[in-house]
Amino acid sequence: MNRFELLKLLQPMLQDNLAVCNIGLPSQELYHINDQPNYFYMLGSMGLASSIGLGLSLSIDKNVISIDGDGSVLMNMNTLATIGNRAPNNYTLLIIDNGSYGSTGDQKTFTDEKTNLKEVAIGAGCQNVIECKGSETPSNLNKALDDKNNSYVIISKIDPGNVVVKPIPINPITIRDRFRKSIGLVSYL
Amino acid sequence: MNISKTIISYLKEGGVDFFLSVPCKLLANMILILENDKDVYYSAIPREEEGMGICAGAYLGNKLPCILMQNTGIGNSVNSIVSLLQLYQMPVVFLISYRGTPGEPVGAQASMAKVTEEILQTLRIPMLHCGSEKDLDQISTFTAHAKVIENPVAILCDFNLMRED
Repeated sequence: MNRFELLKLLQPMLQDNLAVCNIGLPSQELYHINDQPNYFYMLGSMGLASSIGLGLSLSIDKNVISIDGDGSVLMNMNTLATIGNRAPNNYTLLIIDNGSYGSTGDQKTFTDEKTNLKEVAIGAGCQNVIECKGSETPSNLNKALDDKNNSYVIISKIDPGNVVVKPIPINPITIRDRFRKSIGLVSYL
Repeated sequence: MNISKTIISYLKEGGVDFFLSVPCKLLANMILILENDKDVYYSAIPREEEGMGICAGAYLGNKLPCILMQNTGIGNSVNSIVSLLQLYQMPVVFLISYRGTPGEPVGAQASMAKVTEEILQTLRIPMLHCGSEKDLDQISTFTAHAKVIENPVAILCDFNLMRED
C-alpha cells in the first residue's frame, strides 16, 4: 500500500474531522482524492503539520488529526517532545512512514535505515504510540478518534510511491477561511 | 518584575490569550507570571520554528497567539514565518528579548543583534522597539494591530530595559 491508497482508505475518518495535511504530495493527493473544507493543506513550512495540528487541538474541543510524514517528522523532531508533554485528548498525530522523501524524488529517509519513530515518540514522552501496517491504520485511527481520554501517535508503515497529481489550485487565504468556517469561526463565506 | 507584569498585562489587553515561550534569562519573570496565570494558555516549547506552527494552529482555532523568545529565534524561524504565517495571513505577536543590545555582557550575542532588525524589515514585520518603560504603553495597540493587518508583529525589548526588572 502506498500513501495515495492509504489516504483513500482513511476518507471515512478524515472527512468528518479536522485534518492538517503535510506539504507537497500528501496534500496534493488528499486534495485529489476528496477535497474537503475541513482539510488544511500546507503549502509551505515543511515539518510543521504536527505543530499546527497541536496548536489547533489546544484551542478547540473537536478532534484534530495531523497527517505527517517520516521525512517531515525528522525535520521537526522536537515536536514529539512537545506532543508527549502537552497534547490534549482530541489530538492524533498520524505519521505516514514510507521511509522516503516522496515529494522530492523518493530519496530514502533515516527511517529506512536505523531510525525507529515509534521508539523516538515513546522516548519523547508520547502515550499511546501505535505502529501498524497501512491496512490496520483505519481501525487504529478510529480507536484514537473514539477515545476521548487520550491522545495518540499512529505510525503507519507503508510502501514508498506517489501518484502524480496537479498542484492544489486554491489559494492559501481560501484554504484558511473555509477551514475556519468548518470550525464555525467564519461567517462571511 | 514590574516591567514584566506590565508587558504581559498590555499583551493581554491587546487580545493575546495563548502564550508560548522559548527561554531567555530576560524573559524569566514573564515566564513565571504566565506559569501562574489561569486566564490564558501557556507552555514552554523547545524551539521557535515549532512555535510558529503551534501559533498558526492556535490562530486557526481563534486564539491570538504570542511567542516569547530571544531575537535569535527569528533566525530559527524565517521560513515558517514567511511560508506559513504570512502565506496564510496569520496574526502572531513576537515578544522578543533583544540580546546583544547595550548592557549585554555576552559579546557573541551582538552578531545576531546586528541583523535582527534588518531581517524583520526584509520580512515586512512591523516593529515596536521598547528601550524604556515609557514605551510599554504602546504594546496593547500594537498587539491588536497584528489582528487588523493579519500579519505577525514584533515587540523588541532591549537588554537594559529588562535587566533590572
